[in-house]
Amino acid sequence: MQLNGSDIIMECLLEQGVDTVFGYPGGAVLNIYDALYKYRDRIRHIETSHEQGAAHAADGYARASGKTGVVIATSGPGATNLVTGIATAYMDSIPMVAITGNVGRSLLGLDSFQEVDITGVTMPITKHNYIVKDIRQLADTIREAFYLAQEGRRGPVLVDIPKDISAQVTEYEPKAPVCPPLPVGPSQREIANVAELLSKARRPFLYLGGGVMAAEGSAAAKELAERLDAPVACSLMCQGGFDQHNRRYMGMLGMHGTKVSALALKNCDLFVAIGTRFSDRVLCNASTFATHCKIVQIDIDPAEIDKNILVDSKLCGDARLIMEQLLENLPQQHHEEWMKQVDAWQQEYPLVQKNGETDYPTPQYVLETLDRLTDGEAILTTEVGQHQMWAAQFYRFRHTRQFLSSGGLGTMGYGLGASIGAQLACPEKQVINIAGDGSFHMNCNELSTASKYGIPVIELLFNNQVLGMVRQWQKLFYGGRFSQTTLEKKTNYELLAQAFGVQAMTIRTKEDVEPVLTAALQAEGPVLINCLTDPDCNVLPMVPAGASAEEPLLEM
Amino acid sequence: MNQEEKDFILSVQVKNHSGVLQRISGLFSRRCYNIKSIVAAQTINPDLTEILIVVTGDDRVVSQVKKQVEKLVDVVRVTVLDPNSCIAREHMLIAVNRTLENRNRLLGIAQVFHAEVLYVTEDTVLFEVVGTPATLDSFVRLFAQEEIKKMLRTGTMAIQLD
Repeated sequence: MQLNGSDIIMECLLEQGVDTVFGYPGGAVLNIYDALYKYRDRIRHIETSHEQGAAHAADGYARASGKTGVVIATSGPGATNLVTGIATAYMDSIPMVAITGNVGRSLLGLDSFQEVDITGVTMPITKHNYIVKDIRQLADTIREAFYLAQEGRRGPVLVDIPKDISAQVTEYEPKAPVCPPLPVGPSQREIANVAELLSKARRPFLYLGGGVMAAEGSAAAKELAERLDAPVACSLMCQGGFDQHNRRYMGMLGMHGTKVSALALKNCDLFVAIGTRFSDRVLCNASTFATHCKIVQIDIDPAEIDKNILVDSKLCGDARLIMEQLLENLPQQHHEEWMKQVDAWQQEYPLVQKNGETDYPTPQYVLETLDRLTDGEAILTTEVGQHQMWAAQFYRFRHTRQFLSSGGLGTMGYGLGASIGAQLACPEKQVINIAGDGSFHMNCNELSTASKYGIPVIELLFNNQVLGMVRQWQKLFYGGRFSQTTLEKKTNYELLAQAFGVQAMTIRTKEDVEPVLTAALQAEGPVLINCLTDPDCNVLPMVPAGASAEEPLLEM
Repeated sequence: MNQEEKDFILSVQVKNHSGVLQRISGLFSRRCYNIKSIVAAQTINPDLTEILIVVTGDDRVVSQVKKQVEKLVDVVRVTVLDPNSCIAREHMLIAVNRTLENRNRLLGIAQVFHAEVLYVTEDTVLFEVVGTPATLDSFVRLFAQEEIKKMLRTGTMAIQLD
């Protein structure tokens, strides 16, 4: 059938099973928005306050659902406003398709109004990108974009569409979506070799990353931990990928990892890393990381092997499949002594948070209460900073896709948009964005999106009046010279929330915590909780720059 | 792994899409790999281009480069050429001062290197030389710096023998 470019885009989205997109209209996407109007019964469009919020929402939608998130923006500033959101998704390997309009082909390259070379700009932060200059290529390009976003190591793909292409008419033939095949995994022999290595270990330590979640490998990881009789740590990207109520769970590893994980790392004889890329936040100092034990790395991206650290053994492929293959080759192991030792460390080094001089409730108390009230079943999104680490430390995640956070890029302003996307992907779940007052000011405009659409997210704001994470570093390494980290904003958070149409609540004391959280959880529509927080409450443990991940500071 | 730094030749077959050279060079610059030379060559298939890149680094770097380049969607195949079994050639145009004293020496050198004399004036000779990178290096070394008026040298083209 003959369709114009914009209708073809809609049909291709429907082919891919897309029913929700995030975006913001503009001149170069007028045709596309005209089609969105026409298809409004089948494709729900969520209009954010800013394109960055839309990109984060598409990302949150993808992380919460496993599906590909879709964001649409106009040319020029609309497209550049997506950049941080795309880079966030790229660093965390999140499947996303960004569709941008551009000026018509005859105006390309002439510095036309709202023209920017967005394919050039986004080359380093996309798996691949396209500019469609031939209407006959449009449908297949969009299909390819969806394919690439989900293929192998996932990630964002951008398709730039000049305005005249979105109006041109051509023949459209529907096609069924192609599901990317799983990568060719390791050979039987390679599997057997690693299984043998696992069976020879006396003190194995399992370390899981975001790749386990991406591969839906939680169940296999649990079974592997049992079979190997090993303790487990998870990266920030794998919070919930291993049930944190399981006694084998040691917490995070790395810069803000637990003492128990650090001890396990220091004392293990085999370190098995699955779906994780040994980021500098985990390695801390690569030259002192796991030097006395063997390292096995399992990852879908061959380029991650031997990139940041040399490993002794590797398996490339889908994390879940490989774990299942290992299980077929691995008899039950018994490491009672080792597990007893690890249990003893667990008793000896629990996470206990202390305030500075104020009587505000500790974030630990707030988050543990939240965990109890939600039975550990809520989806938490976060901004970036101290509150992000606290959320990872003190909420006890049970499932994958429960903790959505910008781990790689560390994007302040990520969480609120992401919470909106997550809530739309999982309407039956309670979604809570954990924020700090610094991050809050980067994206609070999206409160208006939550209220406009009645999206019942809770914005839990740890308001300590400072940029706490940077301040913590200034305290430790810059002689307490708090350059630009004492915010002292005059913002009235409650009034601001109400101005956006969002209910506001306040936590001042420990006694407020449970009733306020309960009220917020029962409220209809979005809620902001302004939770007053001690400015000197730090994130601990902490591995200072250059130090070993095996020796975290417990106090400062 | 060998940690000694040396030159590697990467032969990268790519789909002839616009921007593909930018994708490759961008990858090199943002990952801090050093490109010593780069040549984009047409192939018998008009849809494919062969890009030959000389990279300096140790074994770990070159294996990283290869794996990262392989991830680019427009890249069809990456081969790290074995210097012992590949034929490598560079092309050079070099204009040299010509004087009464050196004119015979110039012609002698040209003969030894099978250099073509493309152009001669009272005070200049323009040579065209084709050879391995090492041959071209030794050709250039036969002249004092002040003798060379201008030198232009392409990157390395190389073909792997099966």
